[in-house]
Amino acid sequence: MSQAASAEILSVTDVSKSFPGVKALDQVSFSVKRGTVHGLVGENGAGKSTLMKILSGVYTKDSGTVVFDGQEVPSTTPIKSMNMGLAIIYQELNLVNQLSVGENIFLGRFSEMGGMRGVHAKGRELLDSIASKIDTHKLVEELSVSEKQMVEIAKALSFQSKLIIMDEPSSSLTSDELKELYVIIRELKSRGISIIYISHKLDEIFDLCDTVTIMRDGHVIDTRAISDLTRGDMIAKMVGRTIENEYPPRANKVGEILLEVKSLNTLKLNDVSFSVRKGEILGLVGLVGAGRTEIVRALFGADKTRGHEIRIDGKPVKIRNPKDAIQAGFGFVSEDRKLQGLVLPFSVEQNISMASLQKIAPKGILRKSLEKAIAEKHVKSLAVKTPTIKTKVVSLSGGNQQKCIIGRWLETTPRILIMDEPTRGIDVGAKYEIYILMKEIAESGGAVIMISSELPEVLNMSNRVLTVYEGRITGEFDPIRYSADRVMESALGFKGGAEA
Amino acid sequence: MNMKVDIKKFTTSIFRDYLVLVAILALILVTMVVEPRFMSTQNMTNIFRQFGPLSLVSLGMTFVIIGGFIDLSVAGIFSLVCVVTVSLIDPIGQVPAMIVGLLVGIVCGLLNSFLLLSSGALTQAEALFITFGMSMITGAFALFITGGMVLNFSDLAGNFALFTAIGSGTVGLFPISLIIFSVALVILHFFQSKTIMGRTICLTGGNKTAARLTGLSVNGSIMMIYALSGFLTALGAINQFSRTTTASPTMGKGFETNAILAVVVGGTTLKGGKGSVLRTLMGTMLIILMSNCLNLLGVSSFMQNVTKGAILVIAIWLDNRKPL
Repeated sequence: MSQAASAEILSVTDVSKSFPGVKALDQVSFSVKRGTVHGLVGENGAGKSTLMKILSGVYTKDSGTVVFDGQEVPSTTPIKSMNMGLAIIYQELNLVNQLSVGENIFLGRFSEMGGMRGVHAKGRELLDSIASKIDTHKLVEELSVSEKQMVEIAKALSFQSKLIIMDEPSSSLTSDELKELYVIIRELKSRGISIIYISHKLDEIFDLCDTVTIMRDGHVIDTRAISDLTRGDMIAKMVGRTIENEYPPRANKVGEILLEVKSLNTLKLNDVSFSVRKGEILGLVGLVGAGRTEIVRALFGADKTRGHEIRIDGKPVKIRNPKDAIQAGFGFVSEDRKLQGLVLPFSVEQNISMASLQKIAPKGILRKSLEKAIAEKHVKSLAVKTPTIKTKVVSLSGGNQQKCIIGRWLETTPRILIMDEPTRGIDVGAKYEIYILMKEIAESGGAVIMISSELPEVLNMSNRVLTVYEGRITGEFDPIRYSADRVMESALGFKGGAEA
Repeated sequence: MNMKVDIKKFTTSIFRDYLVLVAILALILVTMVVEPRFMSTQNMTNIFRQFGPLSLVSLGMTFVIIGGFIDLSVAGIFSLVCVVTVSLIDPIGQVPAMIVGLLVGIVCGLLNSFLLLSSGALTQAEALFITFGMSMITGAFALFITGGMVLNFSDLAGNFALFTAIGSGTVGLFPISLIIFSVALVILHFFQSKTIMGRTICLTGGNKTAARLTGLSVNGSIMMIYALSGFLTALGAINQFSRTTTASPTMGKGFETNAILAVVVGGTTLKGGKGSVLRTLMGTMLIILMSNCLNLLGVSSFMQNVTKGAILVIAIWLDNRKPL
């Protein structure tokens, strides 16, 4: 037993965690050996983030045991776990933008470091140890994402961390920056520090990790040495089913041009032009922040533009705000369901009817019976699982909430439905239903513009894919003819794509 | 186990929903026993008359808070409307003076919304400071107009029968001010629950971004809530000076806090989105009864403020512990 404790920095046994309505983790067990890089993979919603948040003390586990560095940890808080030697670097980095690099590394520990002078001197030492040349006096807001990551790593080292968890560290790095990160991770490993590396990108897992744990739907499916696994095995274990039935057949009724966008310019967009055909699902691919969301927001009138031309059916339309856009035939399922889509304290009914208030109030007076009919129609046809239509939308699961928003837009019978991350945080079954809906909208003569960070989803659903890089459209692909790698290269700004 | 939790949830929600009503009844009962003067006709009339001004201001505040904002400017606007209207009775006559008074309220309210919208201030905290500034400005104008003096009806040469009627007239048993309030309450309740604009205001308060991305007129609702608040404040101000037959340039002082108190104690959430004018009616009743009872019982005004503050804090605390 004591030997096991010394060989393993972390061992998790039968940890479970439930949230209202969901079992996020079900008897999860795995362990991480000292001085290894341990990959953690699984689809969105598999429970990776929940597990990491339990380890770092953001959530409390319902049951099970966690042993860290030979000692059982019954409960913890983020500060306790930092001091214990367990650091976590989140995807959305946790730094204070308005403070300097040195101050961020030793946040809250200035006096222990002997004042600001000590902070900057020790900060320098730590950054040097990972061969980073960032000036410790620089403000964090002036740094690039990869530099910020270095600061986070230095901060983790300042706590003498024995285990560093990296949550999707590569999601917004260029390939050169990624190589630097590889070097640092190997350096940390040679010092005996263990890493848990969470990523969707299987290449990185195969490049970096010694062992990998695969999760699905709140369970650990398998933990294995990387050399025992092939890519195919890993994917099969992640999705738990064959790939064929993950997506419905592609929409196949593409007709003439419905929407033309010319020279769309905003602060972040540069001369974006494209068109969408009737019956088509158009996918936008790019990194977070590349301008995908900005394109659809500008199109929908949600952001200010610097002049552009939009034609629907060849006729020019003017869109200054979302209201104009809706009248022109747009619908918009926004990226962040809770912040931008739902009115959480309101009922399912009121959330569904809110884009159609004119319809349920023929003379300016709301008719409850009309509202009820609309809500019931969509709850039924979309199979929204809710006790009643009066239930507050906040108590529904992610997939059902998303269906409410889709229902809201279906009621406006949009000709062009924009869907930004339509399946984010939604379980597999509900995903498939949403794919079917997208296809139906397209095949009934409308068009769908979809954005997704999950490349397979875009490639399998779209009739045509546009890649976006630094506010420009860099390529156009027929997803049947081109491989995911080609599309990704273009989205990463390597070179222009081919004509479809 | 689950059943137990549900029952507990149910009872606490019932308890919370009717907490204000229970408090009102308890207050009346206790005071009736301890201080028989409470039930005297004179005291009852007194309560009804006090009820008018605060309840009207609170009704306006209800919509501002449901819309996700706050309005401290009611104090200044209240004072300004008082002195402007009274000082115009002689020069232009009582009806035009009243119309001008109401317009001053609406215009000041619209000015609030204009300042908020043009500066892009979309949080409650920003609204707090901007309307506080507006309160200082309008309050200072009120002082400027009268030179700090109090205007008395007895000094007026013209006819002010309209205001006397509002202040102390009755139709049958009912004071006219109570009738004005009841009409306002019914109209506003209908406005909130049955009109597109009312629903838009609620949705805006619930989630501005979502409301805007659904094509709802968020700017329109912001203008509406502040104009409404200005108008109802003016109506409350007219009620007030008609009752006291004097208009002082500091008359509105304290109305902003009392109105917020009435709204929040009534159970409308400061987070926006949810609430109703009926709740505010209860909140106002509680506030007025409480101060009346404490007066009758001879509690010092310092101690009364302690009670009011404590009730506000408890109301917000309860609200924050409520699930969405």
